[in-house]
Amino acid sequence: MSAAVRALEKAGAGFGDVRREDRTAFVVRVANDQIQNVNEVRRRGWGVRAFFNGAWGYASGTSARSGDAVQAARKAVAIARAGAAAGVPTSKLRKMPSTTITLEPKVRIEPRDVSGEDKVAATMEVCRAQKRDEVANTNASYSDSDWTFELANTWGACLQWREVRVRIAAQSVAGEGDRREAAYDFRDGTTGWELVKALDLAEFGRGVARDAVEMLSAAKPPSGLLTVVTDPGVSGLLAHEVMGHASEGDEIIKKRSFLTDQVGKRVGSPLVSMYDDGSYPGAHGSIPFDAEGTPAHKTTVIDRGIYRGFLHSLETSGMLKARPTGNGRAQDFGRRVWVRMTNTYFGAGRDKKDEILEETKSGVLTRKWISGMEDPVGGSFQAVTQSGFRIQKGEVGERVRGMTLTGNALSILKSVDRVSKEISLDGGSCGKGEEDYVPVAAGGPYMRCKIVVGGG
Amino acid sequence: MDGIDLAPDAVRRARSEGADAAEAYAITFTSRSVYIEDNVPKVAEDRSETGLGVRAAKAKRVAFSATTLASPADVRSAVAAAMAGLKHVPEDPDFSGLPTEAGKGEVSGAWDGPTAAMEVAGLLEAAMTFTDAVTESKATSVPKAIFRIQGYALRIANSNDVLANHRGTLVFAYLTAKCGSKGKFGEGILKAMNTSIRAIDFAHLGATAARRAAANLKARAFKGKLPGIAVLDPLDLGEAFLTTVGSAVNGEDVHKGRSPWAGKVGQEIASAGVTIRDRPRMPGGLASGVADDEGNATRDRTLVEAGTLKGFFADRKHAALIGVPAGNGYRRAVATVEGAYTRPAETEPSNLVVEPGRKSLDALLAEVDSGVYVEKFAAPEVNPFSGSFAMEVRNATLIKKGQLADHVKVALLTGNFYDGLKNVVGVGRELTPTHAFLTAPGCAYVPPMAFDGFELVGQG
Repeated sequence: MSAAVRALEKAGAGFGDVRREDRTAFVVRVANDQIQNVNEVRRRGWGVRAFFNGAWGYASGTSARSGDAVQAARKAVAIARAGAAAGVPTSKLRKMPSTTITLEPKVRIEPRDVSGEDKVAATMEVCRAQKRDEVANTNASYSDSDWTFELANTWGACLQWREVRVRIAAQSVAGEGDRREAAYDFRDGTTGWELVKALDLAEFGRGVARDAVEMLSAAKPPSGLLTVVTDPGVSGLLAHEVMGHASEGDEIIKKRSFLTDQVGKRVGSPLVSMYDDGSYPGAHGSIPFDAEGTPAHKTTVIDRGIYRGFLHSLETSGMLKARPTGNGRAQDFGRRVWVRMTNTYFGAGRDKKDEILEETKSGVLTRKWISGMEDPVGGSFQAVTQSGFRIQKGEVGERVRGMTLTGNALSILKSVDRVSKEISLDGGSCGKGEEDYVPVAAGGPYMRCKIVVGGG
Repeated sequence: MDGIDLAPDAVRRARSEGADAAEAYAITFTSRSVYIEDNVPKVAEDRSETGLGVRAAKAKRVAFSATTLASPADVRSAVAAAMAGLKHVPEDPDFSGLPTEAGKGEVSGAWDGPTAAMEVAGLLEAAMTFTDAVTESKATSVPKAIFRIQGYALRIANSNDVLANHRGTLVFAYLTAKCGSKGKFGEGILKAMNTSIRAIDFAHLGATAARRAAANLKARAFKGKLPGIAVLDPLDLGEAFLTTVGSAVNGEDVHKGRSPWAGKVGQEIASAGVTIRDRPRMPGGLASGVADDEGNATRDRTLVEAGTLKGFFADRKHAALIGVPAGNGYRRAVATVEGAYTRPAETEPSNLVVEPGRKSLDALLAEVDSGVYVEKFAAPEVNPFSGSFAMEVRNATLIKKGQLADHVKVALLTGNFYDGLKNVVGVGRELTPTHAFLTAPGCAYVPPMAFDGFELVGQG
């Protein structure tokens, strides 16, 4: 790595870094009580990045030949020079102090110390527990990942760290005549095998099957502008899709965000606070450092309804004269760095969940998220839920099928009038547009607001 | 391209270490990307990767391991991991062995030499052609666009002496254009995919993206509800086809009881104007090849003919279980082949093609008395099990008496896709390729189509 860093300097890079990664994963998939896959995967490689007068060049590979990374460093500089020659405006990076640190994850039971038999047995138990007459198909999966990172740059940084994640998931498909309905659930985090050990695997599986069966008799959801009580998962989706993507510093610089000129202005009711925190203990999106070597950081995005600021990489913090926030992330050694979220969530409120529901005359309560899509330019979003319930006269009633929520972000956040004390985060992966997936988490409290709802 | 010649070595080694059967999948690729940000080529990449996936079987136990492939030592470690996996894997009673005969030859147009040979500088030229077209009007810019070309070669070897080779090229572009000022902006987003970069008209795409951005800027929040005809642009419609029809005719989903079309062969599941085929031998198809990713010979097959369900597709294991020919075991995706070696083959479509009709898009629109034309959804996500959906429209225009009228936003198109297939009232003639998720195999070639029975839902 040091030879590649020297090659970057010698070729004239204004800044450059070398990332080396060694990623292992163990995956088990079970369906209808039968093993589908047991996969063990190892992926190693290196990536070199060069900055020259505002343009970036990347070169990466998986070869072990000595000299290939050095050649790649020269290529990265040549690519960056070509970009600069094509008219990229000059920009400056925010320089970080050079450090040498090695960090190990806080994992109680290393997944690599757990036998494959135990991992298969746990997955099988989750699958078997879903068995019911009404359930046509049962599925369970387990995965763990153990990623080692090394990073060196032309400022003298030399970092090493590991990230360990575990995930266990279940999905049931219930059937009645031609009708099929599915439900899922999962647990994950930057954690070890202790996550699985602490889980009642059979109850976890039974719960998912119960959800799927109940969905068979669920009604079509109401549509239009409704009072919605979002559960923590869907609140997280709003935080992530509505405000998180639009707070990414690169979108601000490109004026591709409706939040570009909103710092210091009211964007939500005084009950709304929001954070991005890569140091959140155990959450799926937690990281010791981002892909540029900046330590993880808790950033206040919204403080009691007032918009406070953006998420940054080294470059966007340099361009916007702000402190780097540890949000320069890359999918892997072969992919570029973007400004990305980590763990994004709304802060807790003062109400109890049950009180919020009891004091809601009419509306819907969401139950679990499926997916979301941002619109940083227009300030709208799409959030798809697994199911929900009607609320009438303070009572949670009829179950309804999956809903899609949409609307203008600022109108929704300004309509928030109740926020619960209870808060939790769900893990997932997030793409920038359609690509470059990184592990993240999102969450928050139960929140009551007005949102456009529809369902098929 | 090198390294993939080690695939047969991995098979021999697994057999010598006690596997009854073994399969090796080796793939190498080069990838070049240019990222436009604010009208300039801010970032460019040059990358390469070679990897190996090994599947070993002993009796009915099957284990898989994968590794990046930098030296013969990686072959040894991948085989050792797969053999170690056999010790803790329960039996899979449905394992039906490995292919005994490979597809041979090449599908024309799957590989394009000039595309594979293009360096970053050539790609930069294509990127600037798009950018120049968008910025022809000074009010419009390119905040973000991705241009990528990949050339890849793969080899599949197994212990039945099967040796299959395939090579291909992929071009992927994710394109945006933006216009507006003072906090009010409109954005147009589209994608382009092909096996040849010369086949993509980047100037035309630039003009289209700019037009969509202008329309998005003019759009107003839709109020109320509008039942009627929905005419859908092929890009997002293709993605909806992959997640619904791609699952309903998937032999694995049929076998496991997930498919809503299980047991319905011979029944009408769509309007008479709907014919759908899986076409792995389609010239120039993004997923085309004479062998699938297990090595099975591929064959074009009709899945839905004039609205009647004709059959399913499957990988080797599920083909044996549901009684159809194998040939749809895939690992490589069509927007990028990265990561293909890290997973075993699964039942997936190749090129899922909706047979085009004879009408132009304008003719389809002219027949609509009242409805909506949707060019872009936030994400075209449909529940594959139930078919229900509610998708936020990002580029949508109301249709009144055959004419495009007001641009609308902040609205959901709702309905059920499987019901919609039974209410297709028009099929256009221009096929456009698209994919579903970055690493999901399978590609859809779909024309614009008109559906009755969906509803546009807005505020109030």
